[in-house]
Amino acid sequence: MKHTTRWIALGVAVVIVAFSVVLATQVGNDPRKDANTSHLAGKAAPKFTVETLDGATLSSRDLAGKTVIVNFWNTWCIPCKQEHPELTKFHARHNDDPDFVFLGIVRDDTKAATERWVKKYGDDWTIATDPGGKAALAFATRGQPETFAISPDGVIVGYQIGPSSVNGLEQLLSAARGEGT
Amino acid sequence: MTTAPDTERGVRGWLPWIALGVVVVVVIAWVAWPSGTTSDADRAHDLAAELRCPDCESLSAADSQTQSARAIGRDLRDRIAEGQSDAEIRQVYIDRYGESILLKPEQNGLGLVVWGLPVLFVVVAGAGLVVAFRRWRRTEPMTATADDEALVRSVRASKADGTDQRTDQR
Repeated sequence: MKHTTRWIALGVAVVIVAFSVVLATQVGNDPRKDANTSHLAGKAAPKFTVETLDGATLSSRDLAGKTVIVNFWNTWCIPCKQEHPELTKFHARHNDDPDFVFLGIVRDDTKAATERWVKKYGDDWTIATDPGGKAALAFATRGQPETFAISPDGVIVGYQIGPSSVNGLEQLLSAARGEGT
Repeated sequence: MTTAPDTERGVRGWLPWIALGVVVVVVIAWVAWPSGTTSDADRAHDLAAELRCPDCESLSAADSQTQSARAIGRDLRDRIAEGQSDAEIRQVYIDRYGESILLKPEQNGLGLVVWGLPVLFVVVAGAGLVVAFRRWRRTEPMTATADDEALVRSVRASKADGTDQRTDQR
């Protein structure tokens, strides 16, 4: 009983220190921790429906059995402009592959701005708008550009947060084809 | 042997603590008790307030007007209309984005520590106060000894005479 107060003070100190440590290291809620990761890797790709620039509807069902690279981008994002020449080169290499789809989904931008961009740069891969941002949400994007590789059996096998390079895209494509990297 | 007045005094001594406990329990219950039925729109707003806007670091989806935040709002309303529970909806977002999508830590696992430690702190600090109060109560009041009283009498007497007997004694 003589040292009860001392023990209680020690207990309070231990609790404060433990609380500080937990808060400092805590608890997985730092948004920066997840900023460059995708929790969808290794999981089934989300179902989505987007609208191509000619007004047709394109859904994930239409892409079943194909190797797909999905690139979220928009016309006002500087890193998207930086990666654009790389996308163009990459697509030119694989344009003839009937089992491969390169899909650009416009995130947080207007159809009119997208059409002006496509007319200016002559992008000849599939470009689609995302009404309501549902596809961007389904892929848990945090910004743009973000690129996902989907295998023919519908699994997300790789991703790139930020601008892609031709080499990076080739690695994603190899992973999606099951060729390893 | 405990007499009836002793028992009465003991109960009376605990009354303030019991009253304090009742007040604390009532306040916690009042704050934590769900208030009435919530509409689907309220549920969607409450859930959006728990979720971090994915493309803006420090705002909830309810407070942001980005496309992602608006998409989350629509998605939450759709899921509620489909009959999904709040826990199921939270889990969908955790699966997609990770725990960081939640503005507040989950109330399980390590997150429970964050919720539990402040409570533990209050309990331990309260126990400390109880021990301290009891110790103060146990401390016997100081009483003057016969020597003390004699010393005071002699000082008073010497002041009345105009001499200090203590000085004379030295």
